[in-house]
Order: sequence, then structure tokens, then C-alpha cells
Amino acid sequence: MLTTSSIPGARFVDPVVLSRIGNLELVARHVVDGFINGMHRSPYFGASVDFAEHRGYVAGDDIRRVDWRLYARTDRFYIKEYEADTNSNFSVLLDVSKSMGFGSRGITKLEYAKMLAGCLTYLVHKQRDRVGLVAFDSDIVQHVPPSAKHMDVVLHVLDKLSPQAPGSLRAPLHKMAEHFGRRGLLVLISDLYEDPDAVLEAVGPLRFRGNDIIVFHLLDPAELDFTFDTPSAFEDLESGVQIPVVPDKLAEQYRSLVRAHIDGLQERFSANRIDYTVVNTSSALDHALFSYLTTRERLTRVR
Amino acid sequence: MAFLTPLFLLGLAGLAVPVIIHLIQRERKNVVQFPSLMFLQRIPYQSVQRRRIRNWPLLLLRLAALALIVAAFARPFFRREVVAAAGAGGAREVVILIDKSYSMGYGDRWARATAAARDAIGQIGPSDRASVVFFASGPEVALRSTPDRSRLNAAVSSGKPGSGATRYGPALKLAGSLASESSLPRREVILISDFQRVGWQGAEGVRLPDGVSLIAKPIAEGDTSNLSVTPVSLQRATFSEQDRVTVTGGVTNHSNGAASNVELTLEIDGRAVQTEHVSVEPNSSASVAFAPFTPGAKNTRGTVRIAADKLPLDNAFNFTVSPKEPLRIIIAERPGAARDVSLYLSRALALGESPPFDISTKSIDAISTDDLQRASVVILNDAPVAQLTAERLGAFVARGGGLLVALGSRATWPAATGASDILAAVPGQPIDRTSGQAARLGALEYGNKIFEPFRAPRSGDFSGARFYSYRAVTPAKDAQIIARFDDGAAALVERRVGNGRVLVWTSSLDLQGNDLPLKAVFLPFVHRMVTTLASYTERPSWLTVGDVLEAGRTAPVPGAPRQIQPRVVLTPSGERVTLDGEGPDVLELTEQGFYEVRAQGHDAAPPMTVASNIDLSESDLTPMDPRELAAGVLGRAGGAAPAGTNVVTTDQDHERNQRVWWYLLFAGVVILGLETLVGNQISRSGPVQV
Repeated sequence: MLTTSSIPGARFVDPVVLSRIGNLELVARHVVDGFINGMHRSPYFGASVDFAEHRGYVAGDDIRRVDWRLYARTDRFYIKEYEADTNSNFSVLLDVSKSMGFGSRGITKLEYAKMLAGCLTYLVHKQRDRVGLVAFDSDIVQHVPPSAKHMDVVLHVLDKLSPQAPGSLRAPLHKMAEHFGRRGLLVLISDLYEDPDAVLEAVGPLRFRGNDIIVFHLLDPAELDFTFDTPSAFEDLESGVQIPVVPDKLAEQYRSLVRAHIDGLQERFSANRIDYTVVNTSSALDHALFSYLTTRERLTRVR
Repeated sequence: MAFLTPLFLLGLAGLAVPVIIHLIQRERKNVVQFPSLMFLQRIPYQSVQRRRIRNWPLLLLRLAALALIVAAFARPFFRREVVAAAGAGGAREVVILIDKSYSMGYGDRWARATAAARDAIGQIGPSDRASVVFFASGPEVALRSTPDRSRLNAAVSSGKPGSGATRYGPALKLAGSLASESSLPRREVILISDFQRVGWQGAEGVRLPDGVSLIAKPIAEGDTSNLSVTPVSLQRATFSEQDRVTVTGGVTNHSNGAASNVELTLEIDGRAVQTEHVSVEPNSSASVAFAPFTPGAKNTRGTVRIAADKLPLDNAFNFTVSPKEPLRIIIAERPGAARDVSLYLSRALALGESPPFDISTKSIDAISTDDLQRASVVILNDAPVAQLTAERLGAFVARGGGLLVALGSRATWPAATGASDILAAVPGQPIDRTSGQAARLGALEYGNKIFEPFRAPRSGDFSGARFYSYRAVTPAKDAQIIARFDDGAAALVERRVGNGRVLVWTSSLDLQGNDLPLKAVFLPFVHRMVTTLASYTERPSWLTVGDVLEAGRTAPVPGAPRQIQPRVVLTPSGERVTLDGEGPDVLELTEQGFYEVRAQGHDAAPPMTVASNIDLSESDLTPMDPRELAAGVLGRAGGAAPAGTNVVTTDQDHERNQRVWWYLLFAGVVILGLETLVGNQISRSGPVQV
């Protein structure tokens, strides 16, 4: 089923249909290429090796980097410094906890997240950035280190992921923070079923190490709108706890709580310069991709 | 109402099951899996709607059915007193058993027992019949099956508490047989007693016939206290050639309170000689030793007594004690025998304590008639016997004396004629076993009194003794060989002659013919031979009521006319009973105190005194539940009945009282059926919700 994106000229495919394709690379290519073709500007921001600044020579510096011309003018040694390599590290931090296995419209949050991760990876790979993947629940489940050659590995690992265990953010993210030695762009894809403060506390170490973080908060339409109508026992996918629920009595309160949760996350992430996007799994993937690209652009401009 | 199997009532907890099922049923029907209950759990929520029971009638039907079925399984029954209404089922045969053991003398128990008996007699109708039976350790029919109330009342009045102990078994057996003899349609046994625990052992095989009911009428009061004297302990010692006896008496406290400073008095021949004081803890005993005394004469009477309480009979304990009388023994040797020919024999007998032996060693020719009059046993140690001596010895044995003949190589006996024909075996030729293997004792007659103590293993080994020479003997016709050598030859032969005994030992009693004197069994063997010959028995210091007093009758002499020595027994209550051979030969002790036994016509002679005591187990007044006794006698559990009129019901009564469980079960099943109908009706009209 074809749907029309909010972006003029762009045509995107329903995630449910995409999920039936089964080949992530094909999906990613289809989505990303279509997405790029629909945009007026080139998405290629290009890597540069431009001069950045001079600094004083200190013992141990490579003398090949001494600016001899400046020495001739000033009779002092200066070292020329250039911008770092622009093909940065890009890692997807994918939550594969059991709650991600929920789906009310034919596609689970995890399936959606895998497609999203695949698309982003493909897009970034085309930009010649290094791509990696970390899947986690309450601990790190899969880890593909960022590399320009890891595109296929990332897609393969993504394909094999399935929700297995209850999840938490703090422990695995803290562990990752210790692991990522080089700054890069991290995309966290999760349903963020934790208190906003706890989420921020979990993400904090990654941010403090200089990573740029984009958070995609994946939610199923049923989670957002709570469209249940029959009194039932609701079972927590992760803990197995059941509680009786009369949706008529609770829906409004539930929705307000979810809104408050999203607002809380938005507020805290904004304050910490973390990009945060709520993704409804019923919407097409363009929304998420667009969010990513605008962020990337913003980061480039800031620099 | 009570329940036979009340544990089934735990099933009532199952009543919660339908309620719980109804409350949680809908939740389990539809389970929605949701990523996280984080937000839902924050919403304050009371599932009021779900917890509301919507169909009360259906729930109540289910609960009622379950409760009824549980109650049916718990087997409820009603305790009904089934008192036999006079005339309701025809004429009655009533056996009134009245306990007259000495515990009935406690307080006013006897008065209440007779009142209960008269009350039972008062309920006897004109067509009823009744018997009155008193019992203690044994039953005694006072009046047999009569409708005459005045005679029955008189029979009750004739009784009084005795000295016996309670035994329910024999009395109930007699009552059962009396009741079964009757042709009247209803038969009852009324048991009036204090129901002491000690009177019923539980497994006495007593069973009342079918159709006979037992009505228990306990007359014991609730809390009792009783002090009783325990049996005394007599310790003998010889001090300055005097026989000293130390009496240790005790007190048992059968109550839950301590008894302090209880006065314990020792009376000798009716005179208090010493008083001691003891304190006794609750339900325990204490004892005290009195200063030793020397019994001055035979049959010295002693009594340990405490102050009288509500049950006076067990406050005294009687005993008799006599100075030790040695058995007089004459060892007769051949003239000119060596000095140590009887060394081993006399040394063995010198060690006797119970009884002591008074030994005199004489030449066979020097034994006079007077010597034989005083002696109990004569031992002929390898001595040749002349005709005159043989005749004297014959007379001695016939009177009751004992003769032991040790046949060494020189022993002879004159030709047996008349009075001298007493020898158990005629000595023959000596047999020499010095060459080859020595003889040993082979077969011993352990049933004989002499060898009885050696019956048990490791109680004396005769096989170790070696015999080098012995005499071949020809046993008399009425003699019994009680020991043989390994070749079958007689070693010890016994013969009863008149009132006495003769033993022939075919070897010597010194080391001349065997080494038996060096063996450990020699001393007890000699002692057993001598005490058996003297017919010595140690008299007990006391007997217990119910024991039989044998008044020392003479054993009949074979071939001689039966000799009768009538004895007169004076009971503690002063009654004279003559045992003259026409009535019973023995007298059963029925009273506490001292019985005196004299030969008839010898009233001035010092009597033989026997102390009689009550059975002290009766002093323990601990009562039992009459229903326990009823259950044992009737072979089924009796229903609970109010104290005083414990009614043992029949099987039909039991069944009638327990029938209610049928109705409960039926009602439960009917309600279950109704619940099914209602449930189906509701399910047709919509989902089943309660």
C-alpha cells in the first residue's frame, strides 16, 4: 500500500508492507533512494579535510606538520591543524527488550525499529561514514563495531534480532559509554519505558563523552491512543504481571500519562541537547529519516 | 450436635472457591499482552465492577450445596440420652453391681453407692426383676433375680466396703451370665463404682452378651487426696550374735498437693516403738528407715502406720518377723574316720545364711534318739549303718526328717526290712574310674527342686567335675534318679518316705572319689540338697488380701491312712475358721490384719501368725472414664451421657443419631441439580456472571 508523505513529491511505502519484504537491504535501499530522490537538496554533506587552525609547536609533534611558511614569516614554529576526518562513527543502539515485541497493527515495534535502523545505516553508509550496531535489552545482546565495511554485518545482525528478555536502559548504555572510545553519532531506538529522569541518567554518560545522540522513541498506536474497549487482564510483556483493566475508565488517564511521559522526555532531552523524536509505528519511515537528516544538518552547521 | 469426622469441616474452606472463581473469572477469560504496565499501574483503580457479585441466587445455591456436602461428610450426630423408660420395651432384668473394694470406704462413697443402688431398685417395676452383686477382686451374689424390692434393699444394706481391690472383669462376667440367663426382654447391668483406673486393664476379654446394656453410675468425687503406707523392706543383720532387723517404711502421696510432716510409726507387737516424720511431694513416695530391733520371739508382729485419713485401710502395713532358726544338721561319720573326712561338707554348710545351718558332727554309733528329735537333716558321710541305727533313721525320716546318704567306699546299709527300708537305692559294688577317662555327671533332672536353680545357662556347671569312683546302686521302686553319670549309672537318687525324704549320693562328698568339692557348684548343690531334705521354705513376712493361706497340712503318706491335723484360724475380725479336712483345705485372706493359726485343741500354744495386707494398688484413686469401660465391655463406643447416668446405647440408637448425614447429602445433591438448572437458564439469557 502506497501512502503520501508529508514531504512534497516523496512517496513512501507503508511499514507493514515493507515488513513483508524480509530483506533489509532491499528495504533500506528502496526507502532511502526514494527519500533522497524526493528531496530538493542533496543529502550528501560531503567530508572535508580543510585547514582548521595553527597552534604552537610542542616537543614530540611531527615536524612534517610544521608550517614552514609561517616560520619564515614569524621565525616561530607553528603546527597546522586540519579538521578531523568527516566520515564519523555512526552506531544504532537498538532496544530489543520484550516490550519491543508488541505490535497492534501487523508490525511490531522491533520490526519497525529494525527497518528504521537498516534505513539509517544504509543512508549513513552511502555518506561513507562508519556504521555499527549495538542491540541490548537488560544487557548488550549484539555488538557490531563501527566500520565502513560493516554495512552487511549490521544488516545481517539486524535481521536476526528478536525480543528475548526484559529490558533496561541504564546498565547497557553505561556499558556502551565505556566502550565507545571515539566520538560519533549514536541513534537510540527504544520504547523508553522508564521514568524520564532514569532515561536521561542512562543516556547521560554517552552524551558526556561527546557523542551526538538522536533518540527515536518508538510507540505503537495502541500505546499512544489506548484504543482498547473490553475489560481485560493486561499482562506486562516483560514482567508477566497481570492487572485487571477496564479501558473505558482508564483510557483518558492513560493517555494523559503517556503525554506527560513524552513531554518529560522531550523537556529533558532538549535541555541536554539530545534530539528526540517520537515515532508512531503506524507512520511511514520518512518521518524518522527526515528527523535524522535535519539533525545531521544542524550538527554540521553548528560545527 | 457433634461430628464424627470433624476434619472434613476443613472442606468448608472450599466455599471460598466459587466466590473467588466468580470474582476472577472474567479476568482470566481475556488477557491482553501489553508492552508495559508502567502507566496503568500508576492509575488508582478499584475494580469495583468486577468484584460485584451480580447473581446472588446462583452463588448462594453453589455455596449451600458445597456446605451441605461438606457437613454430610463430617458425619454430624446428635447426643441423645436414651434412658430406658420403664415399660417402654417390656419387663427388665437388672443386675446391680456394687463395688465394695476398700477404696469405697473413702469419705462417704459407700453411702452414695448404696443410695444409688436403692435409687435403681426404686425404679424397678412390678414385672421387673433385679439381682444384687457385690464385687471387689471377685464377685459375690448377694441376692439373685427377684422382684422383691424390700429384699433387694436389705441385700444392699448387708454390704460394706471390704479389703479387696477393684477388678471389674470378673464382676462383669458374672453380671453378663446372670443377665443372659433371664428370659425377660430387656436386660441391664447397673454398675455402681468409683471407677478406679487400676480396676480395669482394658484387655480382659470381658464382653457382655448382645442385648445387655450397661449403665454406669460413678460415685467418685472430683478431687481426691490419699496417703498410703508402702510395703516395708526388712533388712537382717547379725550383731553380737543377735539377729537385728531394720524396717524401712514409706508413704505414697496420691494427690496433687504435697504432704508435709507425715507421722510414720513403727509398732512391734502392738506397741509403738519409734515415730518418724517425712514430707512427700505430690504423686510421689518417701521412705524412712527405723532403728533396728531384735525380734524376741517367733512371729513377732510389726506394723508401720500413719495417721488416719479419708481412706483408713491403707494407712497401716503389717508384717511378721521371726528370729532366724538354723537348720540342725547331723553329719554322721564312720567310727575312727579321719578328722577331715567331712571338711568340705562342714565348710560348705557353715556358710549358710538363709537359713543358717547348725552342724554337729558325730560318729554314726553315737547318734541318739534325742539327737534325731532335734535334727532336721542327717548326713551319712560314707558311714556303715547298723540295723538299730537304720531303724531309728527310718523313724526319723517318716516323721519328716531328711536323710542324705553319701556312698563312699565304706558305706553299708543293713538288709532293708520294715522301718529301715527307707534307702532310695541299695548300694552295690564300687566302680573304679581312675583308669581311662573319669566319669562326669551327664543327665540332671532340672525339674527337681535340687537342680532347679541350675537350669538356666551359666547357672552352675556340673560337667566340670570328675568322678573316679562311685558305687553301683539299685534304686528302690518308688525312688527317682535325679542325676546320672555319663555311663548312665545313678549319681543321685531321691525317695520320699513318710513325711521325709531320702537322698542317696553314690559318690563321696570329699576328694576321695571325685573333685566336685573343688567346684563352684558344690556349695549351692549341698545347700539345695539339705534345704530340700528339710523341706525348708522361707515364709513371707506378709501376704496380701486375696492370697490363700495354707495352714500347714500334713502330706499323706503312701500306703498309710490319711492323717488329718485340724487347724483353727482366727481372723483379724475375731472369727474362728476350722480347717478340719471336711471343708476347704485352705483359707482365702479377706481382711487386713493378723491371722493366727493353731492346731485344734492347742489354744494355749503360741500360734503361727500371718500378716495380711490390702492390695495397695487400690490406694491410687485415679478414676477412669466409665465410657471407656463400657466401650470395652460392649465392644463399641458409647455415646456421651451426663455424669451419673451414663447410658450405653445400642447400635440402632447410634445409627438413628447419625442418620442426619444422609439428609444433608441428599439436600446438597438436590441443590446442585437446581444450580445446574438456574445456571443453564442464565446462560441462555446471557453470559454467566455472578
